[in-house]
Parts: sequence; C-alpha cells; structure tokens
Amino acid sequence: MVGAGILVLAFGGVGALLWQSPNLPLPDLWQSAYLRNVLHFTVWQAVLSTLLSILLAIPVARALVRHRQFPGRSLLLRLMELSLVIPTIVAVSGLVGIYGRQGWLTQWLQAAGLDAGWSLYGLNGIVLAHVFFNAPMAARILLMAFDRVPAPQRRIASQLGLGSLWLWRALEWPAIKNVLPGVATLVFTLCFTSFAIVMTLGGGPGATTLEVAIYQALRFEFDSSRAAMLAIVQLVICGTLWYLALHRGMDSALVPGRQLSFAPKRKDSRGISRYGDSVLITLFASFLLFPLAFVVFRGLPGLPDSLLPLADSALLKATLRSLVIALPAGFVSVAASLLILGGYRTTRNRWLARMPATLAHVPLFIPPLVLGTGLFLAIRPKLGMNVEAFGLVALVNALMALPFVIQIIRAPLDSMDAMSLRQADQLNIRGWYRWRLLYWPRLRRPLGLGIAYGAGLSLGDFGVIALFGTPNEPTIPVLLYQQLGSYQMQAAATTGLWLLVLLLGLFLVTGLITRSPKNVSKTDQAMESARA
Amino acid sequence: MLDVESIQFAYNSESRLWQFDFRVHTGECLAIDGPSGSGKSTLLALLAGFLEPSSGDIRWNNVSISRLQPWDRPMTSVFQEHNLFEHLNIETNIGLGIHPGLKLSVKQRKSIGEYLERVGLSGLGTRMPGELSGGQRQRVAIVRSILREQPILLLDEPMTGLDIVTRSTVRELLLAQKAKGVTLILASHDQEDRTILADKQLSL
Repeated sequence: MVGAGILVLAFGGVGALLWQSPNLPLPDLWQSAYLRNVLHFTVWQAVLSTLLSILLAIPVARALVRHRQFPGRSLLLRLMELSLVIPTIVAVSGLVGIYGRQGWLTQWLQAAGLDAGWSLYGLNGIVLAHVFFNAPMAARILLMAFDRVPAPQRRIASQLGLGSLWLWRALEWPAIKNVLPGVATLVFTLCFTSFAIVMTLGGGPGATTLEVAIYQALRFEFDSSRAAMLAIVQLVICGTLWYLALHRGMDSALVPGRQLSFAPKRKDSRGISRYGDSVLITLFASFLLFPLAFVVFRGLPGLPDSLLPLADSALLKATLRSLVIALPAGFVSVAASLLILGGYRTTRNRWLARMPATLAHVPLFIPPLVLGTGLFLAIRPKLGMNVEAFGLVALVNALMALPFVIQIIRAPLDSMDAMSLRQADQLNIRGWYRWRLLYWPRLRRPLGLGIAYGAGLSLGDFGVIALFGTPNEPTIPVLLYQQLGSYQMQAAATTGLWLLVLLLGLFLVTGLITRSPKNVSKTDQAMESARA
Repeated sequence: MLDVESIQFAYNSESRLWQFDFRVHTGECLAIDGPSGSGKSTLLALLAGFLEPSSGDIRWNNVSISRLQPWDRPMTSVFQEHNLFEHLNIETNIGLGIHPGLKLSVKQRKSIGEYLERVGLSGLGTRMPGELSGGQRQRVAIVRSILREQPILLLDEPMTGLDIVTRSTVRELLLAQKAKGVTLILASHDQEDRTILADKQLSL
C-alpha cells in the first residue's frame, strides 16, 4: 500500500505537470542549443564527480581499514557518516571560505607567492562540492564492505603476512566489486540531480544542470511543459541506471552502517605505507573539516546578535519555520519506512517482496521540484495557501529522505533472528507486545537515527523550499542563500553555524531519547564479545 | 615447548576477564573443550596474535613470542569455515601459504600438486573454492597449513560439519603432522576427535 502510495506521489507529481502541459516540446531537446548544453553539462559534471569521489574513496577506505587506531578516528567516521546530512548550502559557504577568491587557502597560497589561479564558480566548484559530499559517504560504505569480509579470512590473511597487492586481490577487491556499481550509481544520481550546489556555484548556460533548468522553467519562465519534459529526461536517465543496478541484484547500502568489527593487524599497515596512509587521512580530514571550521570561526562572533532580541530575531523565526517542516518530515519518513519494510517482510511473493524496496529508490531520481510542483498543482484547489505549501514541502522532503531512512532501519530489522520470531509465534506474542518486546529494543536507536536523518535532510533542504518559499518568510537555508546572494558573508556564516548547531542538537536529542537502557547495552556487549 | 603463562584478556572493561595458563610439549596435541562462549576461540586468537593479552606471556621454546606480529609467530591456523579466499583458485590459496607474494619455486609448485593428490583433490588446483564441497575446502586449508611448515598448528573446530569419510581423512592428516613433531592446539566440541588426537585436555 505504502509502495503504491509512493508510486502515486512520485509519478503523480510528474503526471500533474504533464496534465497541465499536454504538448511536450520534445524537439527542443536536440534543437535548442541551451538544452543540449544543459544536458551535456549535467552528465559531464556527474560523471566527473562520481569518478573523483570513488577514486578518492577507495584509498581513503583502505587507509582506514589499515589503521584502526588513531586519535580522532571515530570522530572522522561519524563525520563521514553524516556528510549527507550536512546542509548543502552551509558546506558551500564553507567551501567558498576556503577555496574562494578571498578564501583561507587562496590567501595562504598568494602569501606564499603562489597564484592559485582557480575559480570556484563553474565546473571546478561544483565538482569540488560534490566530491566533498560524496567521497566521505562512498568511503564509509566501502569501509563497511571491507568490514563484511569474514573474520577467519582476515585472520588467515594476517597470519600469512599478505602484502598490500595480495590483500587487495584476495580480500578487498572481492569485497567491494559488488558494492561499487551501487555506490557509483548513488553518487552519480546525487550529482546528476544536484540543485543547491549548482544554484550557488554554477549558473549560466555553461554550468546549469537539469534540476536547475527545471527550477528556472517553473519559477521564472512559468513553463511547465519544459519542466515536465526535463523531468522526464532526468527520470529516464537515472531510472535506467537504477534499473540496471537493481536488476543486477545490487543491494548497496545508501547509508553506511555504524558498527565496525574487530580486525587483526595487517602486514601492509607498517613501514612506508603507514606514513602514506597518515598523510592521506590527514589531508582527507582537513578537506572535510576546514570548510566546517570556517563556518564555525566566522559565524561564532555574530551568533548572539543574530539570536537577540528573541522576539525580533529573523534567524529564530526562520528556525521555527524550518522545524515546522523538518520534524514532521522526519516522522513521516520513518513511519513510511516502517510500513514499507513491514510489507517487505510479510509477503511471500518474491516479486512483490522486492517492489517496496525498489520503489523506495524512486525518490532518488524524481526531481523534488517537479514532485512538489505537480502535487501543488494537483491539490491546490482543495487546500489553503500557506499550510498547503509547508505541508507539501514536508511531504516531499519526507519522500526524498525515504531511501536513506529505509537503509538505517532495514539492517536491524533484518538482523531479527528467525528463532526469536518463531518462539514469539509459539508463545502467541503478537501485536503491541510483539512490538514492545521484540522490535522496540532493537529498533529504538535506528528509529531515532532515522528521524534525525529525515528531519536533518529536511532542515538543510534548499530544493523544494526554493520554489515554494517566499522571500519574506524564509527557512534557514533560504535565509542563508539570501545572505550569500547579498554578500553578507558574516551573517551567512552565522546562519550556517546555527544550522549546524541545530543539526547536531537534533542528532544529540534523538540519540538521548532513544538510547538503550544500561542493562540492555550490557547484554549487547556480552553478545558482541561472544560473537568475537 | 609452548608455555602460556597467566595471559589475561577482556574484550572491554565490562565483559568477562579470561585467564589462561598451560604448557604443551613439542609434538603433543592439546584439546580444548568447553561450551560456546567459554573462550576457546579467544584463546586461539590470543595464541595467534589476533588479540593482544593485557598481561602474561606466551613462550615458544623459551623465547617470548607475545610481542610478535601474527605473520611472525611460529603457527598457522585452520578455522571451521572461510579459510580460503573465494576469488583465488585452490593453487593460489595454497601458494600464498608458502610465500605471501606467491613467488614459488618449481619444487614448491610441484609439492602443491603432490599434496592435493595425497588428500584426494588431484586436478582440482585450478578450481575456485566455491566449486568445492565443504569437506574438500577444509582439506585444502589443511594442505596449506602443512605446506607452511610451522611448528604449531591451531585448529578452531576444523571438523565441524564434515562427513565421516572427510573427518577421517582430516584426522589422518593431523596425526601425520603430529608424528612429524608439529604441536597441535585443537578447539573442538567433538569427544571422538579429542580422544583420537589429543594427548592432554584443557576444559574451559
């Protein structure tokens, strides 16, 4: 049912647009130089971003596998896990602060007598920002894949003293070769459908993606036909890729798992490779941390002024609007994920069993702007203006977060052993008690994390809200965009910092609320020890 | 002689603290038994250097090996399953046990074929592990451990799930190793295995 609902919501958006514009200007695709350029640039930047992200992710993941103990490792892993949730617009302002014309790195290079000679705007900046977001996520997923190598094989490899090349051939390549197509498809889709990054660092016919062209068609040209046509092009390209990936049985994680198992020492973690890995990990951590550090340092001094007086603070009003959208979005995405996964577990039909999980990937390549606009057009006559816009944004955000939230909840649900379930059946533990006794202890933390992920993605959303939001009543990302657009860099840094603080608070609060009681955690630890 | 002198280990501050203290002479077989979670695998992992004890010492012929890395310790392991690298063929799997860079002499390559023949796996050297039965894979793992020529063989439930014929073949191979002076440390639930192979027992 929920799967069908997603289908209706997702394709209903495109359908509503098509309904509004029966004559699709398909010949424009090859006749209009602008659209040809947009399509070419969209594909090119996505290919380049995917290649660079994966090429960076593989050595970083290998380095992290080799070095399991160094100060700040768990912090780095946590940051890599959350890279998807860091609001795009905040990261972009940080990247501008480091690599922009007046950025820290650019100034430092100039002081050292070197001319950086780059411009962050255009392809360079877009690809850099995409790598910033996607390389950590890809590295973390690959790290999880390395970690799934059976412990005896890792121990044998350690005992035999295999070197780097043979470890790659015997353990690592086999571990990631089935995951790579999925990771590459995910990164490609995220870069292909990128909106906020291209809006802020791109622009002009030379650096516009399909998603931005859809926005321009809807917002400035009021041309729903063109928007619908571009949405269909995007749907066909990304949908084909996902079909191929899923058809081959790809089941790569979209969200990296949290637990890493114990692993024995490796012979290639010593000697010169140790120094190489240290340099790589340091550079990678700096690449992630410096833009965020810029936002913190630049934004901190202005924070009290932006929040006070409380009654007049534009930032607080924007925060309220953002939360009104983000919290329901988080809850809706978790509820929908539970219903989808429930259906997935109860059906015996193989085809039907795969359908909901497959459908959950659909939001990855349906343009949220098209989804929102289509739904807006479809239900506008029935609802009032403001509530409807906020509700729609929350709904679309929930849908966009769905693929990631499902991944968070799926693993612990799948780990529920058949024996416990059979025993519960025998003891007639059903309904509420089954949920309370069997599922809740295992799902409380993932559910909290899912809500935080869903709400966090919505909190930083600068997609649908850019279309529906009004300049006078901005959410935090829209306020930040306005400040960046009017060169209020100090205020933008403060807003960015506030958004990061809210995000951190969201994860902390949900983590605290859903944290396991102490006795349960001890049991888990004991089981972990027994497994080891 | 293998001396395990009061080694202690805990996975974390809240989990159980294990302590082991025993001695095995060269060419003897020590069988370890105990229920699941009693620490059999943990003990073997400590001996092999996969885990580090918080205190105590492990000595081989009166020389401490506690600080040696797993690849430098005079021992080789056979686990219940997942002993072979699934994407490398049988010859390569065995060859990596002889030289970690697979730089093998003609004589060494020949010995792989001979041993495969001896355990009834003649002509299967180019097969992948996935194409072999569980028992065949286990025999390959034993062949690799024999060709590594290490003085201590650590066996973690190596015969669980094997049929009677394969079990008998594996036992013969292990007895032959013992006769050559190899020290065996066997973690096993099976009373019969322990009776046939072991010279002494350690109950956990």
